[in-house]
Amino acid sequence: MSSLLEVSGISVSFDGFKAINNLSFSIGNPELRAIIGPNGAGKTTFMDIITGKTKPEAGYVKWGEKNINLIGLSEAKIAQLGVGRKFQKPTVFEEQSIRSNLLMSIKKNRNPFSVLYSKTTIEDEEKITSILDEIGLSQQTKRAAGELSHGQKQWLEIGMLLAQEPQLLLVDEPAAGMSPFEREHTTELLLEAAKTRAVVVVEHDIEFIRRLNCRVTVLHEGSVLAEGSLDHVTSNQDVIDVYLGR
Amino acid sequence: MKSTKILNKNSSLIFLLILLGFTILVTFTSEAFGSGFISTSFLKVLGKTLCLAIVAIAMDLVWGYTGILSLGHFAFFGLGGYMIGMWLMYERTREIVQTSLSEATIPPTPDEVIDAIGNQIFGVVGSSDFPIIWIFSNSLFMQLALVILVPCFLAFIFGWLAFRSRVTGVYLSILTQAMTLALALYLFQNDSGLRGNNGLSGLQNIPGMDKINQSFISIYFFWASACALAFFYLVADWLVSGKFGSVLKGIRDDESRIRFLGYPVENYKLFIFIFSAGIAGIAGALYYPQAGIINPAELAPIASIYLAVWVAIGGRGKLYGAVIGAVFVSLVSSRFTSGQIPDLNIGNYTIAWVDWWLVILGITFVLVTIFTPKGLGGLVDLFHKGKITGRYDRDFGPEQGSLRKKEASK
Repeated sequence: MSSLLEVSGISVSFDGFKAINNLSFSIGNPELRAIIGPNGAGKTTFMDIITGKTKPEAGYVKWGEKNINLIGLSEAKIAQLGVGRKFQKPTVFEEQSIRSNLLMSIKKNRNPFSVLYSKTTIEDEEKITSILDEIGLSQQTKRAAGELSHGQKQWLEIGMLLAQEPQLLLVDEPAAGMSPFEREHTTELLLEAAKTRAVVVVEHDIEFIRRLNCRVTVLHEGSVLAEGSLDHVTSNQDVIDVYLGR
Repeated sequence: MKSTKILNKNSSLIFLLILLGFTILVTFTSEAFGSGFISTSFLKVLGKTLCLAIVAIAMDLVWGYTGILSLGHFAFFGLGGYMIGMWLMYERTREIVQTSLSEATIPPTPDEVIDAIGNQIFGVVGSSDFPIIWIFSNSLFMQLALVILVPCFLAFIFGWLAFRSRVTGVYLSILTQAMTLALALYLFQNDSGLRGNNGLSGLQNIPGMDKINQSFISIYFFWASACALAFFYLVADWLVSGKFGSVLKGIRDDESRIRFLGYPVENYKLFIFIFSAGIAGIAGALYYPQAGIINPAELAPIASIYLAVWVAIGGRGKLYGAVIGAVFVSLVSSRFTSGQIPDLNIGNYTIAWVDWWLVILGITFVLVTIFTPKGLGGLVDLFHKGKITGRYDRDFGPEQGSLRKKEASK
């Protein structure tokens, strides 16, 4: 399996504090991967680096078949290359309708002039309909996204990511604040998405990760502590000491 | 989506009908074509007010829709006025000079004519040579092009530097203030080439229209301003109602999220900033021939702050809100500050409205911000939404305990 994303030896520090310390990571396509780690382990910073929000001091991030170095590219450019990111807090555009939210996300030319003259094609409509079905919001396209419940917003955001057609999906705590039923639906969405692309899930909840049934990477103090199946890492003494033992 | 689309079309239509009705009403009460109920000077005030409404739309595009609080839009407005003013002044002076020189026994050479025009225009700042920036002033076409190009160019330079380095929020507002202040200070200098603090004057005299009475010229400009307002309202509405508008509103509400969707935010900001600078320039070019004079004080930072206050009072994020704000506040303001309202005597103190108007405006601004954050235009909404869905500002979500609108927008 050739790797889609290869992160090698990256380090970044904030005011002398090493948030990421010589971290290496790689993921294939398709693959589902969970990242766990205590607070301050560098999970969010790691995502920031891949998506271009933070520039690392050392190391490289290679992307895709052409081995493009993502470091130094703008967030927008990286997103256009096929990296989608879901934030911890659901961030949808609350004043706009569910449909507008999805329409904005559909993979298309993003430069201002082509957006200005863009027409919504039949394919776009079909895509929106199928995504709405998948995320279970097909009855409510005209509603403002702000009217949705917390869980529905999370799904809408996942739907927006699917519309973006990324090759790599970075998902930050998708199940936070969800009811058991909502969690189940979220699990299904992620498993389905991971069939055709790489998905990285950052999550605190071990039960949720168990249901994803995938490889797990444990981060601690900015580097990889352990990697393997959930049972493998949870039986690792280091992991128990720093994370599970608390 | 479909329903809001129809609503949008409706609100544009209603706006255009109101504007048309207003234009017809004014035309038939003007001195030129009607009863003369509206004096020519008040007609000019109305025409100028329409131009202010245009620049308010430009402001609403950048602030209300894209979230860039520009406090320097009157720089673009003023530059537009200066550009058209250069041609008006040159051409008008040339006519006068040529008439007076033609009475001389020896016909003047073209160089002599140019020198005489230069003397007339720049004598007041102790010079007689045309500065390089007046190179196109003999061509109406070129100066009209510059009305758009100069503000757009300034907006491009400023925006490119500011947006690329991701200056946002209040820092950007301060930079825009600095931009307009610097420009005003530069223009105040006598050697800036635009007659220093004298500015350009006599702009109400349109070259080649000597025979036409000001009452007619004023109504022509009023019509032109009304047409421009209608045009830019429709263009702005088209711009903000589609997917492009979605992206702009997205930038306003959550810039980084839009970035992670793959949209180059800087390019969008630059686009809308330049576009609105162009609109402001055109509005200025229509305004100053009606005002008759432009000087660097017009570009003072306070003018651009007023613009933001109009849009806030009218309701940002709504095109009609911006128009209502600009028209309402600037008309009331000109009434209070022109001394038409008699002073109010309360015992041992006399309230002079000319002095107190700013205080009233300030208090109004604070009250509007607190009580109707959506401005006067929001009142239209309140009526509308309440009627259609019957659930204005009730529980926002489908379940008990889900976010209310106020919390959700946090």
